[in-house]
Amino acid sequence: MLRSLGKFVLAGVAAVVLASTLPARAADDEVKIGLLFDVTGPVANFVPPMLDAAKLAIDQVNAQGGILGGKKLVSIVADTQGSPQVAVDAANKLVNAEKVSVVVGALLSGTTLASAQSVIIPAGVVQISPTATTPVLTGLKDNDWVFRVVPSDATQGPVLAKMLMDKGITRVALTYANNDYAVGIAGTFRDAYKKLGGTITADIRHEEKKSSYRTELAQLAKGKPQALVLIAFAGESGVTIVKEALEGAFFTQFIGTDGLRDKLLIDQIGGDNLKSALFTSPSAPPGTPSLEAFEKAYTAAYQTTKDKLFIQQVYDATFIAALAIEKAGSTDRAKIRDALRDVGSAGGEAVGPGDWKKAVDLIAAGKKITYVGAACPCQFDKNGDVAGTIGEFIIENGSYKQVGVVTP
Amino acid sequence: MDTGTILYLISLATMIGLYAILTLGLNLQWGFAGLFNAGIAGFFAVGAYTTSILTTPVTPDHLGGFSLPVPLGILAGVLLSALLGYAVARICLRLKSDYLAIATIGIAEILRLVLKNESWMTNGSRGIAGIPRPFEGMAQPWGELSFLAVVTATVILLYLVIERAWHSPWGRTLRAIRENDEAAEAAGKDVIAYRAQVFALGSAVMGLAGGLMAHYLKFIGPEATEPILTTFLAWVMLIAGGSGNNRGAVLGAFVIWTIWSGTELLTQRLPPDWQTRSSYIRVFLIGLLLQIVLQRFSQGILPERPPQPKRSESPSKPG
Amino acid sequence: MIDWSGLLDFIGFYLIPGLVTGCIYALGAIGVSLLFGILRFAHFAHGDVMTLGGYLALTVVWWLGWPVLAAIPLAAAATALVAVGLDRAFYKPFRRRPTIISVIASFGVMLMLRSAIQLIWGVEPMQYKAGIVPPLVFFDELRVQPRHIWMVGVTVALVLALHILLTRTRIGRAMRAVSDEPDLARVTGISTERVILVTWLVGGALAAVAGIFLGMDSKIDSYMGWDMLLPVFAAAILGGIGNPMGAAAGGLVLGLIEELSTYNWIGEDPLVSPDYKLGIAFAIMVALLIWRPTGLLRGRQF
Repeated sequence: MLRSLGKFVLAGVAAVVLASTLPARAADDEVKIGLLFDVTGPVANFVPPMLDAAKLAIDQVNAQGGILGGKKLVSIVADTQGSPQVAVDAANKLVNAEKVSVVVGALLSGTTLASAQSVIIPAGVVQISPTATTPVLTGLKDNDWVFRVVPSDATQGPVLAKMLMDKGITRVALTYANNDYAVGIAGTFRDAYKKLGGTITADIRHEEKKSSYRTELAQLAKGKPQALVLIAFAGESGVTIVKEALEGAFFTQFIGTDGLRDKLLIDQIGGDNLKSALFTSPSAPPGTPSLEAFEKAYTAAYQTTKDKLFIQQVYDATFIAALAIEKAGSTDRAKIRDALRDVGSAGGEAVGPGDWKKAVDLIAAGKKITYVGAACPCQFDKNGDVAGTIGEFIIENGSYKQVGVVTP
Repeated sequence: MDTGTILYLISLATMIGLYAILTLGLNLQWGFAGLFNAGIAGFFAVGAYTTSILTTPVTPDHLGGFSLPVPLGILAGVLLSALLGYAVARICLRLKSDYLAIATIGIAEILRLVLKNESWMTNGSRGIAGIPRPFEGMAQPWGELSFLAVVTATVILLYLVIERAWHSPWGRTLRAIRENDEAAEAAGKDVIAYRAQVFALGSAVMGLAGGLMAHYLKFIGPEATEPILTTFLAWVMLIAGGSGNNRGAVLGAFVIWTIWSGTELLTQRLPPDWQTRSSYIRVFLIGLLLQIVLQRFSQGILPERPPQPKRSESPSKPG
Repeated sequence: MIDWSGLLDFIGFYLIPGLVTGCIYALGAIGVSLLFGILRFAHFAHGDVMTLGGYLALTVVWWLGWPVLAAIPLAAAATALVAVGLDRAFYKPFRRRPTIISVIASFGVMLMLRSAIQLIWGVEPMQYKAGIVPPLVFFDELRVQPRHIWMVGVTVALVLALHILLTRTRIGRAMRAVSDEPDLARVTGISTERVILVTWLVGGALAAVAGIFLGMDSKIDSYMGWDMLLPVFAAAILGGIGNPMGAAAGGLVLGLIEELSTYNWIGEDPLVSPDYKLGIAFAIMVALLIWRPTGLLRGRQF
């Protein structure tokens, strides 16, 4: 008796949960953007600042008059848990249950591909990934629904190789993490570097999240390389490797990509120990007004450093999504796609991070706008990719400093 | 009800169906034969990757180019999982339940490591994309509905076949073995062979779940086969739903996946300041609800069968 | 002639790291083994108990400003208490039920612990002490981290203390009785609940130390214990399930094998590709289970 009662209770709970799938909020005075992020899972470490970056964009929109005639812009977060199964479920929630107008996400290449192919493309809604670097996204048959604001890793590898050769670093050891980000960049780096005449004395792929990389370092240090090229995320394996490399006197010079260029590295290793470190990272050239506008706004809002991974890209993706909705004049998904192409192409009046009111006024006056982002000019090519510049960074006075851009 | 909500409910039901298949496979091993398989992830992965490799077109990234039709790919995955299950069973079945559990964890992890490292075959951590999904050409929601129909039909078919097998002579022998394997051995039954058969069949069903999942997601990679979302989840679904019990397996899939997915609908409603924390709160809720379900229904929500005999549950004595 | 340089390299980069990893595995495995012997279930939340210990030590370091080694006793005690609390809330209801249910409950506890840690401390990886600690240098080439010496020393001390507990004290003998002959133990009036309490205290405390060492050696983050869980289980099995001393030995052996397997024993290349370093633990575990399921150290439980 009690048992069957319990079953009814359980069924009731299930029903309530399902019922909450029906839109609970009045959709009239809100415009929704879905944030399909890998909040828990392999990259959990760097998500919170990214959520802050997205929130910054949304707060700016709301503070400067709202969207589509004064409506409130709202973001809804769905967690992929780092896995394709949950990503598809999360994307379904955003696209079909919550009926968001645009999806910003996902962060990992795997979850981006799964959600794109399984939910986004069939449903027909714009998806802008801030960080997925897999080349597969370029050629994806996506009816032009899928975009990204970060260059594919086909770009960063050759740029890193050129930077090293230009600086006379012709003999390196290479280690990279066994994840989709690092494997991709390592591959294109290796080919380009060798083609330019560089020597890779040791080439080791490592697993993340281990506590000891000393055996890998012992092998990497053989052959007297000038430096260690470390393609990994700082929080997953990068910091540990640098720490153990310095303690064991294996290497003194470290070269990394945007995954390593995290404030975490400076905090935990100390800027003094990283004087010769070099990094490449997709970024607008130093002193670019849009980059500075973003950094100023971010540090003002969150009182923390701007040197967190990928926050510029997340901001750009969210802000340009909002611009596209405004330009489209409605939440019609196909119109938003066309508007995104319009805002993400050259020839209009420049609008940068934080210039929401200016953009709204221009759009109302029928003028074309072009978004100039914090990280990229954000002009989409026919595949929905962006070119973007790759900045060169060093560490000075305990923080990162961009010293230029590397031209491919 | 608009198309969007229908699509969402279809996707929920499809995932529940896929996990029901996985849990039914587990129940074959646990309910029929008292075998504790903690390496479900491995068999799932074999099924998923096999069909992915066989049904995708040529690409430099991984082994492929066969472009076989989906049913053939899935079938191949099922057969390979069955073979693997049989091999594992014959080697490990001398071990008592908890040791078998740990051996299967080890085998599954090694298998996943191989799949992740041998990127010539599987594209390693980058995964295989572009896996064809049946009915994807059709307009929404008919394509999704058709796929759901296939999954549902599979669940129903499996359920009926397994129930039938339970009442067959083969099933009776298995039950006898589970109750008292020494007596069964004395009566001339090849205990290891029977157990190996059941284990292989269960593994085959897990491979089926993996294959169908790969086609549904249109992508497979190392994260899709990691233990929490495969091994762990199937076990939780089985035990919470009613261990040893096919209906319990399906009900468990429904309840647990609804909790897993539905908790986010609740935490999404938190005010925007909570956004950075809502995902962790959701995971906490899942763990908590699980405790509530277990404590409230400590025999599982549908405890039709009598509790397992003590033999196959408690750890073996040393030596 | 002996290649001194090569030998010192071997000791510094392979042997000592293996020993250190082994200590971490050992401390975690002892707890798992004790819990398995006395409570008869595989405690899947043990990794996250290790993580909790690491974070509690971090809090002590922040609040009281002590160096991390001094924070160990306090953090271990706090973790031990939390472990007892977890048992009361989530495992005690299932004492009389089939142990599989406790295993499933521990999965749920794992999720709860980890997300609670993420909510309280955030997800950014942390360090007890920022910066690089210069190593001690012997013979011009052998570099040893001071913390490694501490870690091995403390582990040895703890294992010895455990041995004394189990062989010389009343409660320790009661623990062995419950583990070896539970029915007999009940009949002779041993308070099972008290034994269980002590088991959780000891297991929780040791797990905390393992987590703290892990944090000292690499970093503190919310997944660190979970990432160690499978090797810890492998170590417990290696030593014979339910045999905590064996588990300690198993942990050391496993850690050493993991690091030494990538040494270039034969020729220039590593014996096992670093890609598969993690797989070594599992391969050994599986091989052992098939050919010698009672573990390396046979005989009585303890």
